[in-house]
Amino acid sequence: MSIEVKNLIKTFEEKRVIDNVSFKVDNGETLAIVGFSGSGKSTILKLICGLITPDSGEIITSKGDIAMVFQYSALFDSLNVADNIAFALRERKDLRNKYTEKEIKNIVAEKLELVGLKGIERKFPSELSGGMQKRVSFARAIVTEPNSILYDEPTSGLDPISSTLIEDYIVRLKEETNAASVVVTHQMSTITRTANRVIMLYDGKIVYEGTPEEMLKQDNGYTKQFVTASLEGPMKMLTEN
Amino acid sequence: MGSLQKYYKQSATYKIFTGMFNEFTDFLDTLGKITLNGIDVVKFILKGQIEKNEVIAQCYRFGITSLPITLSIVGMTSIIVASQVALEMVKQGGGNFVGLLMTILIVREVGVIMSGFAIISMIGSSLASEIATMRVTEQIDAIEVLKVNPIRYLFVPRVIAGMLMMPPVVVIASAVGVIAGAVTSNLTSGLGYRSFFDSAWLGIYMKDLCVCLLKAVCFGGTIALISCSSGYYAKGGAKGVGEATNKAVVWSFVAIVIWDMFFAIAFFF
Repeated sequence: MSIEVKNLIKTFEEKRVIDNVSFKVDNGETLAIVGFSGSGKSTILKLICGLITPDSGEIITSKGDIAMVFQYSALFDSLNVADNIAFALRERKDLRNKYTEKEIKNIVAEKLELVGLKGIERKFPSELSGGMQKRVSFARAIVTEPNSILYDEPTSGLDPISSTLIEDYIVRLKEETNAASVVVTHQMSTITRTANRVIMLYDGKIVYEGTPEEMLKQDNGYTKQFVTASLEGPMKMLTEN
Repeated sequence: MGSLQKYYKQSATYKIFTGMFNEFTDFLDTLGKITLNGIDVVKFILKGQIEKNEVIAQCYRFGITSLPITLSIVGMTSIIVASQVALEMVKQGGGNFVGLLMTILIVREVGVIMSGFAIISMIGSSLASEIATMRVTEQIDAIEVLKVNPIRYLFVPRVIAGMLMMPPVVVIASAVGVIAGAVTSNLTSGLGYRSFFDSAWLGIYMKDLCVCLLKAVCFGGTIALISCSSGYYAKGGAKGVGEATNKAVVWSFVAIVIWDMFFAIAFFF
């Protein structure tokens, strides 16, 4: 087991955003979390990596780091690509004196090669395309050899080809690191190409849990509505509530 | 009863009082957050957890980039004051005291407080908007996920730079202010430079210089701390960045005036 979430509850200004959510993700497994915008998907990731604390419930993670790839990459725009990737190695208390500058340089080059971006160390984030920024953020996330990787809408805003490339890297990183991965996404291709299991959230609750193949069979009202992108179904848009 | 309560909640009186209450709680909330961040910054400094390279970069920002505007503001304020005072004093037979008056005014107040205002508008606002942008673009979340303390990484170098660079900026600005005062006095009233500077020396006391430098250290640290805190708690997108910048400027202005009043009471009352 690498990530286990038990009976998680989170409320923002009297609105229960996460309502008694439980799931497990094992090492080497990828769980996709899908649902409407505002259904609490990104909140779950922030709860898992400790950016916010739950009102109640438990999050159990196995020893080691949790990495997160943010929706808009969240690269430090004042630092170049190499400094972005090396950030944790230079600034983190337990890693600060562990590596020499030469070793850091080699680690950065190795991680950049892993995401197919060799030789762009000196470029700044503003000089990169959205897809490249995303891949640099992958490299930054895995620099500490994490046990769990969280992806917040990794393919949003990218063209279909860049999306496919990113999806390939999610699969590749899982294979290389054997990390437990959680992918929050809206995109069917990301679900089918990267995930072993899917959970669907609606109004803070899990309304579906299964494999991507089962989800496509559409025997659940919620998944049917999601897959066919229909306005008719059990899920109501926020404006209709 | 329910409709009465609903009617009451829609009344202007209710809205005014709840608005005032919210402003008051927001004030206390901001004050508390700034204080707690300040305590954390002091703890990191005492532990020696300081990013030297980042401190140097921030010193350049505080000291060098702010210098032209600071010198201009202090210099122009001295010109305004001297042009109002010098001629009248010479007319009244007090020409020998123009230098003394200008020096006391600049060293004790004008130099440091106008430099503070210049640093707030130039550096404080840019610190707040930079950190607020990092907040709304999730860069601060990324720092936290990478297990780096954002207070240590973002606040400590900026607060140290503010405390280190504000005194030299104030000294240079005050010197420029005195020279501007001498030139203006000469041009408006024909007061000789020798007469001006002879009396100017009489107005400089060691105590004044020490208080001036101490004030500069407090102003620099306070401006950096408030600006970083305002940016750090920014919410939302562009609007949140704007609000954080506004908050940083307003709070810093008020804070340095309070500091100044404290110093005036403590040392010159």
